[in-house]
Amino acid sequence: MSSPAATSLVEDRTATRSIPVPLRKLARLLLGLAVAAVIWEGAVLLFAIRPYYLPRLSTILMAMAATPRAYIDGFLRTLAETLIGFAAGGAFGVLMGIVFFRVRALREMIFPIFVVSQTIPVIAFGALVVLWFGNTLLAKAIIAFYLTFFPVTVNTLLGLETVDPKQVALMRSFGASNRQLLLRLQLPTALPQIFVALRLAASLSLVGAIVGEWFGDTTGLGVLLLQAMFTENVVAIWGALLAAALLGTGFYAVVAAVERRLVFWSAEQ
Amino acid sequence: MNPAVAAPSLAVQRGILGAVLLIACWEGAARGLHLPAYVLPAVSDILLGLWSKRAILIDAAGYTLLEALAGYGLGCLIGIGLAIAIALVPALRSAILPLATAINSVPVVGYSPLILLWFGIGVSSKIVMVAMAVSFTILLSMLAGLDRVDRRAVDLMKSFGASRFGVLWRLRLPTALPLLLSGMRVSTVRSVIVAIVTEMLGAQGGLGWVIYQAVLQIDFVQVWSAIFVASAASLAFFGLIGFLERRILFWT
Amino acid sequence: MLSRRHALSALSAIALATGSLVTAAPAAELQKASLRLKWLPQAQFAGFYVAAAKGYYKAEGIDLTINPGGPNLLTENLVATGADTFGLSGGTDSVFAARDKGLPIVCIGVSHQITPFIFVTRKDGPVKTIQDFKGKTVTTWFTGANHVLNGMLAKEGIKPDELKIQPQQVSVTPFVDGNVDVVTATYYNEFYTIQSRMPKDSLKTFVAEDYGITFPRDTLIVAEATAKEKPELVKAFLRASLKGWKDAFADPKGAVDTVMAAAPTLDRAQQEFMLTEVKRLMTAGAAAKNGMFWIDTDAVRTAHDFFLKYGVISKPVDLAAAYDASFIQSVPAADRLP
Repeated sequence: MSSPAATSLVEDRTATRSIPVPLRKLARLLLGLAVAAVIWEGAVLLFAIRPYYLPRLSTILMAMAATPRAYIDGFLRTLAETLIGFAAGGAFGVLMGIVFFRVRALREMIFPIFVVSQTIPVIAFGALVVLWFGNTLLAKAIIAFYLTFFPVTVNTLLGLETVDPKQVALMRSFGASNRQLLLRLQLPTALPQIFVALRLAASLSLVGAIVGEWFGDTTGLGVLLLQAMFTENVVAIWGALLAAALLGTGFYAVVAAVERRLVFWSAEQ
Repeated sequence: MNPAVAAPSLAVQRGILGAVLLIACWEGAARGLHLPAYVLPAVSDILLGLWSKRAILIDAAGYTLLEALAGYGLGCLIGIGLAIAIALVPALRSAILPLATAINSVPVVGYSPLILLWFGIGVSSKIVMVAMAVSFTILLSMLAGLDRVDRRAVDLMKSFGASRFGVLWRLRLPTALPLLLSGMRVSTVRSVIVAIVTEMLGAQGGLGWVIYQAVLQIDFVQVWSAIFVASAASLAFFGLIGFLERRILFWT
Repeated sequence: MLSRRHALSALSAIALATGSLVTAAPAAELQKASLRLKWLPQAQFAGFYVAAAKGYYKAEGIDLTINPGGPNLLTENLVATGADTFGLSGGTDSVFAARDKGLPIVCIGVSHQITPFIFVTRKDGPVKTIQDFKGKTVTTWFTGANHVLNGMLAKEGIKPDELKIQPQQVSVTPFVDGNVDVVTATYYNEFYTIQSRMPKDSLKTFVAEDYGITFPRDTLIVAEATAKEKPELVKAFLRASLKGWKDAFADPKGAVDTVMAAAPTLDRAQQEFMLTEVKRLMTAGAAAKNGMFWIDTDAVRTAHDFFLKYGVISKPVDLAAAYDASFIQSVPAADRLP
């Protein structure tokens, strides 16, 4: 029971999957990183770039190693905020997508409000976020949630809408219930779309967590970034940027891996 | 195909009903609970404030929209260009995607000190920031769309001697269009927000600048007025791309 | 609104499930309070961190949380709504603005007795006197420093539109690169950054006090309700804070250690410089005789009249209600003097 779209996608995936052995892939990744590091270091030395514009990578790494606790604590705190925001936003987004798909009246009433809510720059009222939620982990997670749920809702809805009505009719003729229809046909068909949004959401929830930390907090990568920005400590800016890049790339890779697994799996049934 | 295509008057009525309910709750909470303006001003006060400062706000909105549109255009070009490059030369995927992901994994606002340093406090730094924010979304949507193509159809076209470019132009691009356009639609709002956020960190004008000034002057009615205008500007942009999307999808 | 409430309930459920919200209630009869700073942890606030680290607040019966500030976060707002008990806010200008807008806050102490802002130019550049500002590019922050600039220009009979006043970005690079003629700096932060990138003797500074203007900054504030209902808490907070500041000045290295425990990525040399400069600002003027956090009513009145004249505030502010010196005066003079 696989739609044409799903089959084609699976073939695509298995094709890319068969090329790299995990170990070789890792080696290639490390090699790539090493090359990038050498180019960075070399370019700064060779072209005598002023450290104010781009410091040497080794300088940045040494600065990070000098105060490892700050970066580790910041990393963990930001990670926690990101994960909570992502999980809540993803779940809420899929749920609202399904609800809007099923109940047209609700979609027409609430979807416009969702759209409007996304046009509000959260940073504009940081004070309100602190007023309402305090300086808690929750406040940051809520901002991450706020940035995350909308793309997931949109893509879930869009994915559900692409289901072939003929297939629905076919399943109905076999007596499939709404629930079966949803779990067996509609969600699997929508899954690739949903994952596009989830990968975006992975990045957005990190944005939310970091921006959330700008409203007066003590730990987190956003705090490190802000502190460095305003003391014009370029080395520390890059240190925080690298830590954020590590977090973002790692999280994104995890979501992408889950995507490969799930999309692959659902089609094998 | 698209959920938004069918817009009978019932949908509009329900949309209006939802908005009215929301505004009524807001107004009721602000008035009923006697919330001071620094907690939550009433909608009516915000609208009055908006009207009395309309000249400043419209100027600022124009400034911000200009930055957002320029950055958006640039970002779309970069995103689509990269996605097509990957489609034509699959080897590029493993080079471009991790790099783009790594760059994008840092919140755009994190780059702002560096971008402000390199491009100054004026309009160009905002355009660069918006382009960075938009291009990744476009790249992902476009790639997902290009990947969605039916492998059998590709094989069929190839068996008739179609070139890689031919397959891209005739088959993969049209298939990718719906996803690309939905990515473009989602990005509109982000482009305005990124422009505003960057303005708050250093600018010579725009809605972000107005909001920043208003916060400092403890003028929360003006903060909200500016947010309303920003929201309206984003919606207009969103609506425009949504309209184009419907037109284009209708043709294909 | 709806989505926000949804989000809140959903997220609190998650947070509760994971136990992150469950905090143990303190057993002692310590009174919970918080201090909202105007910015992130740095030596500018060393005394408060020292007092907290050495348990001075606990000794006064206060369980104090120090909350850092951030961009777009207004201390006056958070204190007025009761989100924070104490606040170290922008300065006399922001206290006036807050009172003008009806925010129920009271200033209970002034930290920087003299204007912390200076205007910096190149010694060999075209600007020799304030009159030379005409036609030049001057960058400044619109967070209070702009008032200082306007005040100095007004004293010299220069209209603001005779020069190009531009908003200053977080970086002093445009000035260092020569794209800006005059840049605004605080003694304790940007002036250090500029000096680290250009020799000090190549710089010329313009100081507000030379033009007969003083804008005291970094004001300690509480909500009106706190001042009225918990005067003992306010006094206890001031006593502990003063002890912390005295310790910080007696042992600057140790104080910087304490600050850097809260923010380890800071640059030590810069923080030590900052503490030295902050000491100068906090013990200048009336504080030399009356002690730290003294409210110099003459300076406050002068600043008030100036803001009124130039429309920064819309109507006269009741100075007696906005500035309450009784709390700081309750501390014995010997404990106030550094």
